[in-house]
Amino acid sequence: MKALLMWVGALIGVAGILLLAGMILNVVPSSAVRLVEGYMPMQMLFELTCFVAGFAGLSYVMSAMGMPFPRFWQGIGFWAFILLYLKYRVYPPIPFSVRAMYGTVSLVAVFMWVSASEEDWKKFKQPIMNVLDAQTGMNKLLRYAYLVLLPILIGGFSYNAMMPKSEEPIELRTVHPAPPASTKVHGKTYTLQTSQNPYRVNQEGKYDQEYTNANIVEQGMGRLMKPNANPWDDKNQGYLKYVREGGEIFFQNCHFCHGDNLNGRGLHAFAFNPIPANFTDPGTIAQLQETFIFWRVSKGGIGLPNEGFPWASVMPPWEQHLTVDEIWKVILFEYWHTGYYPRTWD
Amino acid sequence: MAPLTGKRVFSIMALCMMVGLLLLPIVIALPSPAIGEEAPAGDTAKKDGDKVEKGRDVYYKTEGIVVGAPAPKTTDGPKDYPRYNFESRVLIWFANQQHLYYGSFVLAVPIFCMIIEFMGVVTKDKALAKRYDQLAYDFIKISLTAYSLTAILGGILIFTFLTLYPAFFGYLSSIFRPVMHIYALMFVAESGTLYIYYYGWDKMKEGFLKWIHLSMSVVLNIIGTLLMFLANSWIGFMMSPAGVDEQGRYLGNIWHVIHTALWNPLNLHRILGNMAFGGGVVAAYAAYKFLAAKTDEDRAHYDWMGYIAMALGVAFLIPLPFAGYWLMREVYAYRQQMGITLMGGLLAWLFIIQATMIGILFLSSNYYLWQAMGRMRGAEKYQRYIKYLVFLLICGFLVFITPHTMVMTPAELKAMGGQQHPVLGNFGVMSAKNGGINVMITTTVLSFIWYMRGNKVSTVSWAKFGNIFMGVFFACAYINIIWLAIYGYYIPANVRVGLSVPQVATTLSCLFFMFALNSVMMRGAKQMGPIEWGKISVRSQYALIMLSTAFTWMMALMGYIRSSVRLFWHVNEIMRDNSPWAYTHTVGFAANMISFNVLFFWISILFVFWMGSLSAKKVPVEARAGIPGGVPQPAPAAGH
Repeated sequence: MKALLMWVGALIGVAGILLLAGMILNVVPSSAVRLVEGYMPMQMLFELTCFVAGFAGLSYVMSAMGMPFPRFWQGIGFWAFILLYLKYRVYPPIPFSVRAMYGTVSLVAVFMWVSASEEDWKKFKQPIMNVLDAQTGMNKLLRYAYLVLLPILIGGFSYNAMMPKSEEPIELRTVHPAPPASTKVHGKTYTLQTSQNPYRVNQEGKYDQEYTNANIVEQGMGRLMKPNANPWDDKNQGYLKYVREGGEIFFQNCHFCHGDNLNGRGLHAFAFNPIPANFTDPGTIAQLQETFIFWRVSKGGIGLPNEGFPWASVMPPWEQHLTVDEIWKVILFEYWHTGYYPRTWD
Repeated sequence: MAPLTGKRVFSIMALCMMVGLLLLPIVIALPSPAIGEEAPAGDTAKKDGDKVEKGRDVYYKTEGIVVGAPAPKTTDGPKDYPRYNFESRVLIWFANQQHLYYGSFVLAVPIFCMIIEFMGVVTKDKALAKRYDQLAYDFIKISLTAYSLTAILGGILIFTFLTLYPAFFGYLSSIFRPVMHIYALMFVAESGTLYIYYYGWDKMKEGFLKWIHLSMSVVLNIIGTLLMFLANSWIGFMMSPAGVDEQGRYLGNIWHVIHTALWNPLNLHRILGNMAFGGGVVAAYAAYKFLAAKTDEDRAHYDWMGYIAMALGVAFLIPLPFAGYWLMREVYAYRQQMGITLMGGLLAWLFIIQATMIGILFLSSNYYLWQAMGRMRGAEKYQRYIKYLVFLLICGFLVFITPHTMVMTPAELKAMGGQQHPVLGNFGVMSAKNGGINVMITTTVLSFIWYMRGNKVSTVSWAKFGNIFMGVFFACAYINIIWLAIYGYYIPANVRVGLSVPQVATTLSCLFFMFALNSVMMRGAKQMGPIEWGKISVRSQYALIMLSTAFTWMMALMGYIRSSVRLFWHVNEIMRDNSPWAYTHTVGFAANMISFNVLFFWISILFVFWMGSLSAKKVPVEARAGIPGGVPQPAPAAGH
């Protein structure tokens, strides 16, 4: 049973290596095995889990066949695999800073694995010790080669690091700066901690967070409207009616940049750098109170506080174009459409 | 009943004196609120006839009679901000951090002593009991030298405040005036108790007297903890002021001033943090001594010492993230913008660094435990599975450190097609991070359990069932934690925040139930071989040093984050910082400053250790046999 499992694992490992090699050589596109929207993060972790199981199986099978793969090369190979996986498998491309973080952590992981027991550690460092001891002609040659190559490599890195570059500098952008305690819109002051969206009401017109939460679209594979919760049904009153009105305002004013799918990829989006906010991402409106959005929509990029450095937002201060009611309604629509609940406090 | 000897009388008197010292500040404090509330009000009434000015508490929203002056409106100049030709804030930062390091150390070590001394008292193995007692004594000896340094650094801190920030310090002192003398008296009580505890060690080492001595350590720790609570009330007030009106005028209720929105979470976080830090420092001391040891006996002793210190430190490290989570939750509840500045805005990058440091702590602890299995015969059966634990830990770690807003060049931003990465962006939010840290903690618990049963084979009749049950329990725990992390994306934020409770409960269930079950299963277990103390790889000792360095670095980092979240306020929304340094430092500068503080602390603590070693007495060799696991074997040069 164990041998069978290991064989299956080994096959997965080989398939994974071949697939990745294909992606690196551009024979197989990265999207050949699709990252499915909505499941991407777990899919990535699942793939990595399969690879670990696969490599464990491969190692077992090779040992059983009398061709054990040296521990040293196992460690180096696995680390290289992770680096290549992050660069060639995951799309869109991961920024270098994050790959560097992941690469460093993976290197630590490999070290922890190969040195967890004394026996493993001895196996791992044996090839290094062999080269340093240089008891054979080949090892002697390798030692001289390292003597020459390592300084050149380090020199190359230093040169590369010191060489002036013409790339645009990296920006540490604060996407969601802290809001003020209150904001004044059209002559009225709103306390952000306590204000509420006046249109989050049930059919009787009473403020009802639970009712509105129950009528947002469902997330998952695409977004689906709940049965009997179609805002474009003229008979609807209360929340769904205001969602429709908010939607009309959105498509008259906002969708050119934020996109008709609210993912920040509107008609004009790629004229801006950075492109407009993607409301479907769980890190944007899903993390924020409605009053935060109210403040940002009202004041726009020009109203960002000092903390919002480098103020990379071209959003107009919508208070100059919309009424307070319209702003609240459009916010209502954004949450409805994305299927997210605004942040609330107990 | 044993006769009342002179020693007994002396011991009981000493204990009574300690309790008296403990109660003294409280007794003195009793009239203080009354003074604060009534006497000045009476004075005011006399002066202004029946007119008394009332103000509304900025936090409690209660009305109170104004008895203090408003917070000073400072201006940039030598009057309010006298200075040397150097950034005053950096000087105060340095003085504060060093005082905090030593303060934490001297508060944590007596708690360790109390625990270890208690273990010595209840242990039936006399040789082992003696070793525990000696260990506790060694700890308190180190603490004593550090205590003097803490007092000196406290003095330096106050002088720095008085010299560089007189207006601010004057205001804060005026607010805390009713308890200032209690604070000072607590120091006296702490010092007195500590000296009696230390110098009474040899006189009270047997029987009933030992219990008296142990009680003294309890009193000592109560005083120390109260002292810390009072100190915490200052920073709590600066972050989330209460007991004053909008102008910062004291309203006469000192309890409101102390008991601010963030006081309790800060208290809990600091107790746990101090303990973990203290464990780390002592473990690093033991690691250093292990690496420098010339004999097998010394190696065995310091290996054991490092293990005990690490175990105690990690025991407090495990609940630390939960306490931190509570603190952050209270910060958000107190001021949303403060929470966003911390975790989503200006200081969010520092939190990524913090997550990295937390990860390093757990990685180091696990690595140490895996290395420690190497000194047990029979633990080999677990070692082949370590790679899977590494994988679990690293997956948790990677999720935990993934930033939500990534550092990238504009070209990378364009290639990514937006500010958020569709795959990794999901790891950048709290739901995923809660899952990540709980996976790491649960894995640490699993490593501990493997370590505990490393050289043992259970002999209970239901051992097989017990092992399967444990395996299933852990598997279910991982599934539950990961499932809840995913589920968190599909529910309202306020419910999502509440999901941390079942996640934490799952982790703690693993901790308590599995430890308990494992202990029952291993009762009377067959020993495969002794623990060969001293026969541990040198890598394990570097892991301990890494652990403690990460603790110190993280403490400084979190202190900086907590302090800088006030942005341009001395006292949040009450007293504005109008000095030229009322801006937030760059991440790079802060990291350098933190590193400098860490380096200075370690250099100075080495001096403290050296001082402690000057009066070190050689431990009788006969006691070594009592080290759990038996007599150490000659250790080969392991791990080179």
